[in-house]
Amino acid sequence: MYTLLIVQLAVSGALMGMVYALIAYGFQLTFATSKSINFGQGELVMLSALFSLTLIDTGLPYWLVVPGGMLFGVVLGLFVERAGVRLALEQKSEGWILLTIILGLLGFSAAENIWGRDDRPFPTPIPSDPVHIFGIDVTPLELSVAIGVLAVMGLVELFKRKTLLGKAFEAVSADRDAAQLMGISATRTIQLSYGLSGLVAALAGILVAPITTVGPTMASVLILKAFSVAVVAGLDSGFGVVLIGLFLGALESLTSFYLGSGWREAPGLVLLILALAVRPNGVFGKASIRKV
Amino acid sequence: MLTIDNLHAGYGTSEVLVGVSLEVKAGSVVALIGANGAGKTTTMRAISGMLRPNEGRVLLDGKPVQQFDASRIARLGLAHSPEGRKVFGPLTVEDNLLLGAFGRLPRFFGFRTRAAADLAGVYELFPRLQERRLQAAGTLSGGEQQMLAIGRALMAKPKVMLLDEPSMGLAPVIVQEVFNTIRRLKEAGITLLLVEQFAKSALEVADYAYVMDRGRIAIEGTPAHLAEDERVLAAYLG
Repeated sequence: MYTLLIVQLAVSGALMGMVYALIAYGFQLTFATSKSINFGQGELVMLSALFSLTLIDTGLPYWLVVPGGMLFGVVLGLFVERAGVRLALEQKSEGWILLTIILGLLGFSAAENIWGRDDRPFPTPIPSDPVHIFGIDVTPLELSVAIGVLAVMGLVELFKRKTLLGKAFEAVSADRDAAQLMGISATRTIQLSYGLSGLVAALAGILVAPITTVGPTMASVLILKAFSVAVVAGLDSGFGVVLIGLFLGALESLTSFYLGSGWREAPGLVLLILALAVRPNGVFGKASIRKV
Repeated sequence: MLTIDNLHAGYGTSEVLVGVSLEVKAGSVVALIGANGAGKTTTMRAISGMLRPNEGRVLLDGKPVQQFDASRIARLGLAHSPEGRKVFGPLTVEDNLLLGAFGRLPRFFGFRTRAAADLAGVYELFPRLQERRLQAAGTLSGGEQQMLAIGRALMAKPKVMLLDEPSMGLAPVIVQEVFNTIRRLKEAGITLLLVEQFAKSALEVADYAYVMDRGRIAIEGTPAHLAEDERVLAAYLG
């Protein structure tokens, strides 16, 4: 019975870890093309979830709310690229760090003013009564998170491998100057990566919302974990973030069981520190070769 | 086909090019030679838009392009195979080639069928690339990467091709192969601007040549004419 409980905890935790993985994947997408990430991504997750909640309030069916919320995420992603990142990249400065943080803060204020400070439940038609699989209780809600995450990551990877635009995306990641010489606009590709990043982040918000409730601070902890996962896995391995996400989710769940829920956030931070000390390029990251 | 008029360009405050003018006529091979640091590669970069010129004009097929972004100049029909080859290492050989034709292929689906004939043409020119078509480009040898870089530029069906130091870092046998390839490109009627350190070999294939010195064109003429010029002889053809 005891081992079963451990497995149970690990599985529930791992399924939550998929959300970290998806947000981390969003970081990878923009980092690949532009070597920049949106430090306000947590606010993007939160705003998309709140927007989706408003869509639900208007009576829109769930299957329309999901794409609606994701579309909103794309718009936010494009806005961040246009209003923050591009200005800095054009001047070859690192100003995108501060600019994306500022945009995130603005988003946070906007959320507090528009939707209020309270956490609210996020209704979903997906049932939360557990079903038994191999002796473990899993709720369809948790499963929907895993399926949603894997589906959207699979689709983006398919896009990158099978379409010419996707290959162009990879080309910009590999060598931006050479890609430009092929007629591929780096600016447009970076824009695309921010749109996609917004899309996956919004989906992460929508998937996790029924479990965590929705409010302006819903993503502040989530985003820290996603950072940890992205850094520990390495900023160029989509496969890596899923594994590390699952691992961290399970680890957190077990930590809070053994040490108390107050220690829940510790494993992510410890992993982050360890990764930065031992493998700065990430467990699955390629060592970056600098030509001199 | 390509006219450069009084081009000034540089990095930061230091100006490398101080008024370069040259012309590449349709169907001709033009060689650009000169000592290290004379500004050959900078000229190429300023033409293709990798570096925005401070002054002067670049006319591609009569159209001024000097203020355009590199990707836009490429889509207008200029293929620049840069110094150091710059193939997309993690991508397969075939993907590299397909991306060469990015400007004229459908973005999502059906690009393979559309590019099939041109791909076959490149594979005919470089059978080695076909053997390795599914291999990551980064795993190819230097010579093969150079073939890939040329093939990738050919895929664009460019009006003008810029070839920067195709023999750089290659073994003598492979260098010979590269020049054979350039000869075949010439026979195929490709308009080519070639930067080369092997001035002698470059002059053998070129229809016309420019010699650069300290950011400007010092001497120009047909290879036969240059080969008699004592300054060229002394400096480059030894």
